[in-house]
Amino acid sequence: MNAVLPGARWRNPLVAALAVAALQTAVLGYMIESRASILRNGKDVLLRSAPVDPRDLLRGDYVILTYDISRISPDIVAGGLPEETTRAVLFVRLREQADGFWGPVEASFGPLAQTTDSVVIRSLPFSYYPLLGAPPQTLQPNYGIERYYVPEGEGRVLETARDAHALSVNVRVNTDGRAQIRQVSVNGAQLYVEPLY
Amino acid sequence: MYRGRMERDLKRWVDLGLLPQSSASAMLAEYDARESTFSVGRVLLALAALLLSASLLLLVAANWEALPRLVRVSGVVALIWLFHFLGAYFLGRGAKAVGSALLILGTMSFGAGIALVGQMYHLSGDAADAMLLWFAGACLSAAAFASAAVTTITACLAWAFLITLFDSGGLVSAVESYFWLVPVLAAIVLTLVRYTNAGRTRHLAYLLCVTWLGALYVDNPGLWLAISFCAAGLIAFLLASLPRSPLYGLACEAGSAPSFYSFAVAVIGLIALQSEAEGVLAEATAGVGLLAIALMGIGVVGARNGAVRYLGYAVFALEILYLAFETLGSILGTSGFFLISGMVVALVAWLVIRVERRFGRVGEASR
Repeated sequence: MNAVLPGARWRNPLVAALAVAALQTAVLGYMIESRASILRNGKDVLLRSAPVDPRDLLRGDYVILTYDISRISPDIVAGGLPEETTRAVLFVRLREQADGFWGPVEASFGPLAQTTDSVVIRSLPFSYYPLLGAPPQTLQPNYGIERYYVPEGEGRVLETARDAHALSVNVRVNTDGRAQIRQVSVNGAQLYVEPLY
Repeated sequence: MYRGRMERDLKRWVDLGLLPQSSASAMLAEYDARESTFSVGRVLLALAALLLSASLLLLVAANWEALPRLVRVSGVVALIWLFHFLGAYFLGRGAKAVGSALLILGTMSFGAGIALVGQMYHLSGDAADAMLLWFAGACLSAAAFASAAVTTITACLAWAFLITLFDSGGLVSAVESYFWLVPVLAAIVLTLVRYTNAGRTRHLAYLLCVTWLGALYVDNPGLWLAISFCAAGLIAFLLASLPRSPLYGLACEAGSAPSFYSFAVAVIGLIALQSEAEGVLAEATAGVGLLAIALMGIGVVGARNGAVRYLGYAVFALEILYLAFETLGSILGTSGFFLISGMVVALVAWLVIRVERRFGRVGEASR
């Protein structure tokens, strides 16, 4: 039953080790660089963080953040809502407001054109269910910036600040609309600054 | 264990003069020399590798600020290279157990690397993506080293992927394209199992498929789905079990598993049909269908496939009991409950004895 394995003819363990280790390293390197490039080249956007249901606050060693831009009114969606259940991506145009925070001015289920005074951020893919007969509901997209990992035991500081509406998060958004957290501040004083690597 | 039973039997045959002592010793020696033989040492080594990997993953999870991120990433990458090359070194020298344990450590280090990058850049909402990536890395290692141990890890990662989908609510709707990836992962694992000779790991893949079908039905209960489970399971069962089928050779190489799991899917489909059925006629039809499929399973492969035979017995007995209580239970009351149970169990016992005796005769005749 255990004759020569089919792969044994060409298999040299050292070649296999080189191939596996190199490819796995390349994958990790690609992951790191794809995020670091957003931090390096993205446009700065300041977002106000909004409180979430306290039961969801702390899971393990990360804090869950929601933002003012996590709720998008269907009124600002250009180009209409999907009519069938679908896997959708929402593009949201953000513009700087008088108070320095950025807010949503336009959204679309297709790509939006770039302009100099606005930033387009894209949501993670989500399942969209149209409700027959009911008015369209507020959309609640995630952008991939809803988690902030903190060193063990430091989550409470951020939680308290966020509950007091005092948390602001500076993200960088690249031309594809992908966002990356760069800096977390409480009452305008910076708490964490993210290094490139 | 099989070895203990075999040793006892060989000793008995030697005592009876059926077998010379030298042949018995040679047979045992051949068995012990086999690579797939269960060895406590090998299992403990694999467990040690898993414990060490767990400590590595927890170290990453602790988000230890004392070390700069870049140092942590470099450390994990260094571990990936170290474990794979050490594994290759030991495999090259023929130390299979140590080599496999090191390869497990290498694959787990890759997972730790993915988790670390996710933590560094605060990635959210893509746990399933991370699992897929880890699965792909493990598959690469399993294929490159033709390693049965890493193939088992890939099967576990495929399960972890399904559990991640459950956790994130991704199973709620069938539009989630990831949901449909689960059988693809199972197929990949089965291919690796064949390629690396990973034997029992195939059950993890088959169970993954059956669980996935169950989840599909729980999410979309409906007549058509129950019928398609039943039909597809039946067709797959016949393809795997009938000697005339083109897939028979392939299925036989995989042991009794293909027949058993396809039979199980057909049975699950019929049970679902019975739960969907409304009205006496529909319920009776579904019940007769279950009885028929149980008998058919026993008749078609019962002689060669113990797993299918016992599932067939169980389905037959439970269905008879169920039908008896659906039809007569309310009339007879508590004492009748035991009366009917006794009669049904006696009937099934009689059937089982007849069937087993028949299979015994068939076995003797073919010898």
